[in-house]
Amino acid sequence: MPNAIDVTDLTVAYRDTPVLWDIDLAVPEGVLMAIVGPNGAGKTTLIKAMLGLVDVAAGQTLIYGEPYARQRSLVAYVPQRGSVDWDFPTSVLDVVMMGLYGRLGWVKRPGKKERAAALEALDKVGMQDLADRQISQLSGGQQQRVFLARALVQDAQVYFMDEPFQGVDATTERAIVTLLQELRQAGKTLVVVHHDLQTVPEYFDWVLLLNVRRLAVGPVAEVFTEENLRLTYGGRIPFVQAASVNEP
Amino acid sequence: MTPAQLDIQLIAAVTAAACALPGVFLVLRRVSLMSDAISHAILPGLVLAFFVTENLASPLLIVAAAATGVLTVVLIEALSRTERVKEDAAIGIVFPILFSVGVILIARFASGVHLDVDAVLLGELAFAPFNRFEVGGVDLGPQALWVMGPILVLNLVFLAVFFKELKLSTFDAGLAAALGFAPGALHYALMTLVSVTAVGAFDAVGSILVVALMIAPPATAYLLTDRLTTMLGLSAGIGVLSAIAGYWTANLFDTSIAGAMATMAGVAFALTFAFAPERGLVAQAQRRRSQRRTFAEKMLTVHLLHHENTPQEERECRVPHLQEHLRWSPDFARLAVDAAVRDGYVLRDADRLSLTEPGRAWAQESMVD
Amino acid sequence: MLHDLLFDYTLRTVALGAATLGIVSGSLGTYAVLRGQSLLGDAISHAALPGVALAFMLTGSKAPLVLVIGAALAGWIGTLAVMTVVRRSRIPYDAALGMVLSVFFGFGLVLLVSVQRHPTGNQAGLDTFLFGQAAALVASDLVVMATLGVLALGVALLFWKEFKLLAFDDEFGASLGLPMRRLDILLTTLLVIAIVIGLQTVGVVLMSAILVAPAAAARQWTDRLGLMMGIAAFFGALAGAGGAILSATTARLPTGPTIVIFAGVLVVVSLLFAPQRGLVAAWLRARRNRTNLREIGVLEDLYTLALQHPTDPRHPHPVATLETMTAHPESVKAGLASLAERGFAEPIGEAQWSLTDAGFAAAAAIARNTRLEER
Repeated sequence: MPNAIDVTDLTVAYRDTPVLWDIDLAVPEGVLMAIVGPNGAGKTTLIKAMLGLVDVAAGQTLIYGEPYARQRSLVAYVPQRGSVDWDFPTSVLDVVMMGLYGRLGWVKRPGKKERAAALEALDKVGMQDLADRQISQLSGGQQQRVFLARALVQDAQVYFMDEPFQGVDATTERAIVTLLQELRQAGKTLVVVHHDLQTVPEYFDWVLLLNVRRLAVGPVAEVFTEENLRLTYGGRIPFVQAASVNEP
Repeated sequence: MTPAQLDIQLIAAVTAAACALPGVFLVLRRVSLMSDAISHAILPGLVLAFFVTENLASPLLIVAAAATGVLTVVLIEALSRTERVKEDAAIGIVFPILFSVGVILIARFASGVHLDVDAVLLGELAFAPFNRFEVGGVDLGPQALWVMGPILVLNLVFLAVFFKELKLSTFDAGLAAALGFAPGALHYALMTLVSVTAVGAFDAVGSILVVALMIAPPATAYLLTDRLTTMLGLSAGIGVLSAIAGYWTANLFDTSIAGAMATMAGVAFALTFAFAPERGLVAQAQRRRSQRRTFAEKMLTVHLLHHENTPQEERECRVPHLQEHLRWSPDFARLAVDAAVRDGYVLRDADRLSLTEPGRAWAQESMVD
Repeated sequence: MLHDLLFDYTLRTVALGAATLGIVSGSLGTYAVLRGQSLLGDAISHAALPGVALAFMLTGSKAPLVLVIGAALAGWIGTLAVMTVVRRSRIPYDAALGMVLSVFFGFGLVLLVSVQRHPTGNQAGLDTFLFGQAAALVASDLVVMATLGVLALGVALLFWKEFKLLAFDDEFGASLGLPMRRLDILLTTLLVIAIVIGLQTVGVVLMSAILVAPAAAARQWTDRLGLMMGIAAFFGALAGAGGAILSATTARLPTGPTIVIFAGVLVVVSLLFAPQRGLVAAWLRARRNRTNLREIGVLEDLYTLALQHPTDPRHPHPVATLETMTAHPESVKAGLASLAERGFAEPIGEAQWSLTDAGFAAAAAIARNTRLEER
């Protein structure tokens, strides 16, 4: 049984500056993994490199043992919420159906079946009532739910998510976490760029500590240690500081 | 060279220099297209002032056109502030409308007089020397020179007086505001300057080619230097050279002087874009070749370091593996390995590679960057 | 007028031609506006000028198809130049646009003037490409315009969902395996076609406005891409035909500027009066909210006063007292008046007011909700 994701020797450079250096990564199936690291650590770049969205200087990514290009139907992607113009004239349902465009093939338009699938995905994120809403009228949390629904509708095995908790309210954050954990229980593999170190042990079971290089990867209980965090963040660890504040 | 030819070149050179100076800040502040918008949109102001004064040489024309230029900036900003229209669309709507109003005013009410649409759009330098500035019967030179000369001086004075503020607000608007430099006021002052310069240059080169003189020389200079003062000097110099080269090209092919000036400014940019010492395409390609090798060397050492003393070491640190996993071509892998061995970073024993002590240090250093 | 339109051959050609260009540039301009490429159109249309001149110089022909092909090639090269400069140097996008726009135009002018001054040159008609001349349109122009326009719109409809994805979230599209770069090239090509179709009628100087204005106006009326495109096409046709007819029937009224003014009026009307996004509608909504807030404020104050007389909730209170309780004393009387209209408060005697039973219940409900929210 191959791993869900196998990354070997992945190196990405912007002009001449390395952004990711020689990353090796093996993620087994059914894991909910956080990617954490300081700003500029290459977290988003890593996801984009695995998805073939940026040019790599070296290395490759395998999904279930095959190159990504051949396994697209197994992969879903949730980009950062801020990467699109939310004033674009389109509806919630329309955005969710975009998740099916790859499968639909050229020229064909989405029909009844696609509508039903999109509505079902919206139902899972608690947004079915807002299907016809113009996307500019959504709150940050609702926008994020729409993006999640678009990934759900892809019905994938492996999910890549770029900061799905960014700028969402507490209720939405809870709902998203529950959803991610349900997906993991259904045997899906999830890779999530995450910012809040404090919630890592609570939300995730695996973690990748990244700062241009791979510093540690594995089950949270094993690798999410102060020593590794210090390696990743170079001494100034927001987590440790926050934790000491919490102590009486 | 006839006196008229000399006059034309002088006017062209002064115009080019006057345009290039504010142009530097337009390029650096990423508002280049404001020059396009302003140079078109000032037309109705110019026409209305002409109706009042009936004199193309009246200074009122410059005042009215400058006011219209500022009005254009205000309108564009007001439109994009409604959040109904993006800023680029706002520019693309406002200036064509104002320009259209100007063109229609000319066509309806001013055809036959000195102001015609082609002249506004295209300018005509060839006749400029014959329009003399006379005081009490004494010929003081071509009128155009008496318009553009003071505008050039005005631009120079403005830059000299507000150099520090302009520099700061261009590179760090937030800090400038915090220090109380009123970047907003400075922005409008700059736009006024652009308007005044555009009106002055109208006669000589027309509204579209003003844009070439304002943007192309500063963009060219931007590829040659990082220093603001050098960039200002270079821009003016490139502008003047393009103007003179343009004049002689137009002379040679018997064609539009202004068009040839713009073309030459474009040629200057194209040449610099290709051959600039550091940022040119050729230099980039050369640097990339050598950097590709250094980068490959770095990648190789980092890769070896990474897998030192790991269970996978036996498998990972071999030449065939580089092709297989780093996705390097056999040629490229050989190039990197040879370079690393030659530089004493890597030891090679048949296919098996290992780091030397300096190689280890170099790899660690590379990763810190 | 209507009679002329139906039976005057020239006028009919002019109106049809201008409407065609309006439909094509209105609908394709929608993508330009949504993708933040409003000014790319300006660069493309100016860059087309040397193409027109060169096509004429090389072939000696003024056949519409020849000139349009020349214009399209030059427009394409201009776009390519912008992209190359931006990708391979630190020159910002807007500077690259401005440079391509003005330098290509300057070069076009060099060619045009040298054709004009050439003794054998038969250049008449070439300078209509500056400001456009609808009256010069003939049937063969119309055929070229319509063919290219139908082709461009057909492709746009065929790749509807792909282009929508490109405009909204191209990276997600790439993750689905769609060739987004090639789609981008295709859509830009359609934009070039839309522009060259209009050059002869509107002219290179103002063509971009016909691309941007109808789409920007249409955006105000709808939140759906399909409708926006349809409305933009309609607005484009309206401005094109209206401007062209007016210009062709009026002496000394250049076509391009007239069409632009028509389109500008559509933008202003849409910005002001569109039902949802319109500024007037927004202003009315804001005013209504203000009125509601004012009412609620006075209602709450009256309620506070009423609670001080637990045995007599309908005890009257002077306006002057209410005015001391708020930061906006000038709005108290208006607030009381609208409360009275709703039956929540009533005047008692001279400048004295009290809550009605309904008003008391409403105020109590508001107070309860406020407490809940604060918890």
